[in-house]
Amino acid sequence: MSLISYLVISTILFICGLIVIISRKNIVAMLLGIELILNASALNFVAYGKYVSAHIDSHIMSLFIIVVAAAEAAVGLAIVIRFFQIRESIHIDNAAQLQS
Amino acid sequence: MELNYSFSQVAPIALLPFFAFVINAFIVKKFTKTAVFISCAAIFGSFLYSLRIFNDFVFNTYSTDYHIHKVFTWFDLSNSITGEYLINMGIYIDNMTAVMLLMVSGAAFLIHLFSTYYMADDIRFGRFFVYLSLFTSAMLGLVLSENLFSLFIFWELMGFCSYSLIGFYYEKEGAGNASMKAFMTTRVGDVFFLLGIVAIWTTIGSVSYVDIYQALANGDLAGQVAMFGFAVPLVSFAAFCIFMGTIGKSAQVPLQVWLPDAMWGPTPCSALIHAATMVAAGVYLSLRIYPLLEVGGLLPFVAYIGGITAFGAATIALVQTDIKAVLAFSTISQLGYMVLGIGVGSYNASFMHLVTHAIFKACLFLAAGSVIHSLHDHHTHGHVQEMPRMGGLRKKMPYTFFAMLCCTLAITGAPFFSGFVSKDRILGDALLMAVDNGAVWYGPALLGFGGAILTAFYMFRMLFLSFFGEPRDKDLYDHTHQEKLSLNRNVPLLILAIFTLGAWFSGSMTGQGIIKAPFVKNKEWFQTLIEKPSSNNLNKFKTYSKTQWVDETISNNNFTKSEYDSNHGLTDEQAHHVHHVHHVGAVVSVFIFLFGTLLAYFMYIKKSLDPAVWVNRFNGWYRALQNKYYFDDLYVAKMIQKGLLPLNNLLSRFDMGFYDKYAIDGWEKVNRVLYTISSKFDNIFVDRTLVDGTGTSVKLFNVILRTIQNGKIQFYFIIALVVLVSYFYSLGLNKF
Repeated sequence: MSLISYLVISTILFICGLIVIISRKNIVAMLLGIELILNASALNFVAYGKYVSAHIDSHIMSLFIIVVAAAEAAVGLAIVIRFFQIRESIHIDNAAQLQS
Repeated sequence: MELNYSFSQVAPIALLPFFAFVINAFIVKKFTKTAVFISCAAIFGSFLYSLRIFNDFVFNTYSTDYHIHKVFTWFDLSNSITGEYLINMGIYIDNMTAVMLLMVSGAAFLIHLFSTYYMADDIRFGRFFVYLSLFTSAMLGLVLSENLFSLFIFWELMGFCSYSLIGFYYEKEGAGNASMKAFMTTRVGDVFFLLGIVAIWTTIGSVSYVDIYQALANGDLAGQVAMFGFAVPLVSFAAFCIFMGTIGKSAQVPLQVWLPDAMWGPTPCSALIHAATMVAAGVYLSLRIYPLLEVGGLLPFVAYIGGITAFGAATIALVQTDIKAVLAFSTISQLGYMVLGIGVGSYNASFMHLVTHAIFKACLFLAAGSVIHSLHDHHTHGHVQEMPRMGGLRKKMPYTFFAMLCCTLAITGAPFFSGFVSKDRILGDALLMAVDNGAVWYGPALLGFGGAILTAFYMFRMLFLSFFGEPRDKDLYDHTHQEKLSLNRNVPLLILAIFTLGAWFSGSMTGQGIIKAPFVKNKEWFQTLIEKPSSNNLNKFKTYSKTQWVDETISNNNFTKSEYDSNHGLTDEQAHHVHHVHHVGAVVSVFIFLFGTLLAYFMYIKKSLDPAVWVNRFNGWYRALQNKYYFDDLYVAKMIQKGLLPLNNLLSRFDMGFYDKYAIDGWEKVNRVLYTISSKFDNIFVDRTLVDGTGTSVKLFNVILRTIQNGKIQFYFIIALVVLVSYFYSLGLNKF
């Protein structure tokens, strides 16, 4: 296993997340896509921490990312619930009020 | 001691009342009491400044040609064609100005004070003081002026003020007509006056008094002007034109018609117009241009105008029943005396009569105002000024009666009063002229003496009718309040009454030297102040260089203190002759005064002569007098109906037939074409291209923006991604 194989996996994860965010209309699914992107970046940090940097910083950074992801999921889901209470739907096109 | 005033020591005399006018007219407006206080304080301020100048000049008895002359350039119209062409403003103060300033500001202050009593119930109390301040300011400015042009400016300002004050009660139709009449009539004289100014200006390039005197001395005005094919000497032409200004302003025949109608104004304003300001300005102007009149040979004309006015107005005053109308005609008559005095070369006495008349006429009008204001008819709710309804008022108004009596004695020329000093010196000089120079000059002298009899008669008639005898309107009399001494009603009257004494003006008490007052060193102080600027002493009045603020005070060495010269520079033999004639004149005057007074006494007190019999005997004359010699009818019938009305019709026909038809309708046709072109341009270019084009372009842009900004978060995300990717891509391209 080399750095490249880690980076390839992380890139695949990242692109998967991106595709999910762009293509899916379900807000929960889009949150899942964001999780995928966060995980890709965490994997990147871990890989670089192992092969490039001798310090422990990058590992700590990946731990931070996990925490941020959890917080983000909590806040995001809370928003989704409120959104559902108002619109009775979690279709992303219903959240188009910014246009006017 | 040499005098030198800075701008700030002289200018406030005219500027303080002007500031009061500005403040009252544009700032305080509503607050009547404040306005009154400001006006009175301002005029008192100018009185104090005038007092200082009077003190400096008169108590130091400078020589008669001593003057302070300061000039600044107002407009500079110099150019290469006409050369130096400056319009100057400035001040010219000599003894005459000093006396005039004190007289005008003092009388005006007392009139202001009286107005606070007389106008207190009026709804336009504050506005009255606005006009009063402007009026006084204009007169003071006129007196200070150093040239005819700036004098003319103040002259016209006074014309406007008199117009507004005569028409003060504008609800009454008569007041409106009277104000218009006054304005229009004086305008006739003013047009001539302006013509005279232009005639002098185009010849010598200046209208300053000293320049005119200098030009006369050098013979610069010796040219001739062509009029209707006749060659008229320029001096005569200019002098006549300027004197026409006097005729208009000082109500001389034939332009006297406006002054009786000026009675429509409030009584204090009549006092101001008749005494200190408006009509005095005309005589003052004539005094200033005396050399022009003399060199132009107009003195006989002036004397006759004055004599006819003095006599004619006195006859009209005989039959007036309105107390103010009597005073109005007596004003015209007394102004006639002043002009007569100028005409017979009695320069000093004429000026003295201007001052004494201002004082006693102001007092007479204020006293009349006091009477009118107290006589309140509770049936019509108006004030009464008809003498047949008065009578016996001396018990009700002792102070007013006292003032009126003093002034009546002064105006009729009773010995020891100011009128005797001034008027009878004029008459004495008129007599001297007649004795010395022969037949032509007997006219003015006879008219003058005849007018004096009538003056004594009608003034005492007025006094007897209103203050003596039994009250003829019992109801009115009983409703009149007993007069109490009050500051703003009686004090101005009494102060003015004090100054009707002859002793203030002449140490010899009579002015003719019959009775010499003891203990008075300078017996004829008025005579020492002013010297006639006769054509043979014009060189005394030096010219000045026309640059910046020029001081033209004659230096210490050049003036001598003037002493009274009882010979007036004549030889003993000539002086003896002059004194002899003057003594005769004085004695005649005293008899005339007594005769007129006794006539009035027998007619109205003892009633041994019945006026009705005389009226019946001279019925035609009586009606002529009542109609003021049909002057008004003549002007209406001949001038206005025959002259102005056809002219107006002609003008209106021109207006309708030519101007309206061709100029205005023709212009409409041109406009119609222009309109078509303009509308095409508007439709095609402006509307379709510019206005609609703007809309279309905005709409297009709007479509693009609307597509992009659709509110879909994923679309934004894609755009952000595309931008980011392309950014990194371009970054990569740069690197490799």
